[in-house]
Amino acid sequence: MSEMKKIKNLKEFSTSADRFEGANLLCPGCAHSIIVREVLNATNDDLVLAASTGCLEVCTAVYPYTSWDASWIHIGFENSSTAVAGAEAMYNALKTKGRLKQPDRNPKFVAFGGDGASYDIGFQWISGCMERNHNMMYIVLDNEVYANTGGQRSSSTPIGSSATTSPAGSISYGEKMNKKDMMGIMAAHNIPYTAQVAPNKWKDMVKKIQKGFATEGAVFINAVSPCTTEWKFDPKDTMHLTDLSTDSLVFPLYEVINGKEWNITYRPKNVVPVEEYLAAQGRFKHLFKDQYKHMIKEWQERVDANWEYLNRREEARV
Amino acid sequence: MANTGWDEFEIGAMLRSFDGKIDDIAGTLQEDRAYSPNNSFVASVADWRIEKPVFNKDFCIDCQFCWIYCPDISIISRDKKMIGIDMDHCKGCGICVEVCPTNPKSLLMFPEQADEETELANWPAKDEEN
Repeated sequence: MSEMKKIKNLKEFSTSADRFEGANLLCPGCAHSIIVREVLNATNDDLVLAASTGCLEVCTAVYPYTSWDASWIHIGFENSSTAVAGAEAMYNALKTKGRLKQPDRNPKFVAFGGDGASYDIGFQWISGCMERNHNMMYIVLDNEVYANTGGQRSSSTPIGSSATTSPAGSISYGEKMNKKDMMGIMAAHNIPYTAQVAPNKWKDMVKKIQKGFATEGAVFINAVSPCTTEWKFDPKDTMHLTDLSTDSLVFPLYEVINGKEWNITYRPKNVVPVEEYLAAQGRFKHLFKDQYKHMIKEWQERVDANWEYLNRREEARV
Repeated sequence: MANTGWDEFEIGAMLRSFDGKIDDIAGTLQEDRAYSPNNSFVASVADWRIEKPVFNKDFCIDCQFCWIYCPDISIISRDKKMIGIDMDHCKGCGICVEVCPTNPKSLLMFPEQADEETELANWPAKDEEN
C-alpha cells in the first residue's frame, strides 16, 4: 500500500496541487467543488474517477473542456458506481496476471454521484457494488434535490421542503416524505467503512477520506452539499449554511465501521436550534407562516430523536 | 476540434487534460503543467462576476481558510502563503470574504469595475466592536 499523504494542518494542506480545475460551470458558491477538492487533495495517488449524471458531471465536462486532471469517466445516470467497480475489477485481474505496466502505483477508485443518482436512480447499482465489496469509494454529494434539472424532489429531500414537484402553497407544506436514511441502509451492507462528512469540517472530512482510501473494500461517504440555487440562499453563505447543518445536528458527522461500530466524530459545543437552519433557507420559508409552524417543532423533535438514536448506536456497539 | 460544430463529435469522445506525458500530476503545480486546449483551466469565467474580491496582504495571516473553501480553485497559495487571486476562474461568489477571520478582513468584495489601487488605499480600519 502506498504511503498516506501527511496533512497536519491547513497550511500544510494548502501546498497540495489541485487536480480539479476552475472554469467549470458549477454555480458560484456551489459546495460540490469544495467537497471534490477536499477529496482529491487528500491523496497523492493516481485516481480513477467517475461521475453520475448530475450537476457535477454536466458542469465539469462541457465539450470541448474537462475540469478533471485525472482519469474520469461519465456513462449514465445510474452507473458511476459500477463503472468504477468494473475498472477496479479489471485492475485486479491485470495485477494478478502481472500485466500492469506500472504495478507499483496504487490508484484509488472513486465514484461521485448526486443524491438523485444515489438515493433514487443508482440505488440498486450502488447496493451491488457495496455487496460485492469492491475496493472503491462512493461519494454522494447530497444537496437533497435534483438541482441540475430544476429542483424536483428526490428521496433525499427532507419533509417540509418546497421543491418544484412538491411545491408549498395554501394547502401543502411541500415535501411530504421524510428523507431516506441512506447511511443506515449502507451501513446495513456491513461494508468496512461508511461515513457522513461536511466540507466545513475539513479536517474531519480529510481524515475520513484517508481512512476510506486506506480501507480494503467498499467505502460509502455521504457529504452534505448546500445548494445555493435550490436551497435558496446567497452564494456567499455556503459555508455558513454548512456550519448550521452540522451544528444543528440536521447532518450529524459520524462513521460506521463494519456496520457495527458507530462513532460520532463531531459534537458541536453549542447546538444550534433547527429553526435557525430552516430560517436561513428559502425552500423552508413557508414553514414560518402560522399555518405550518407546527412543522418546525416536528423538525426539532425528529432531529433530537435521530441524535439520541446515533448516541445509543455508538454506545451499544452492535 | 476547432473546425467541428458543437454537435459534431464521436460518441464516446475522449479528452486529454494535458499535452504530452505526465507522470506526477499531484506533485506538479498549476504553473508547471502542460495544459491541453481541452482543459477547462485554459477557459475563463471572469465574465460571470458582478463583484470581485480584492486581496489586501497587509492584514493576511495565511490561515488558508479562503484556499480550502474556494469552490473555483481561485485562491493561489504557494509555500503556505496566500499570494493572490486567479481572476480568470473566480466567479465572485464571496465565500472567501465570509470565511476570512482577520479584523479588518484581508479580502473584501467590490464592484467588478472598481479600481483595485483606490480600494486598497481606502481599506476599512479595524472594527473595534467585534
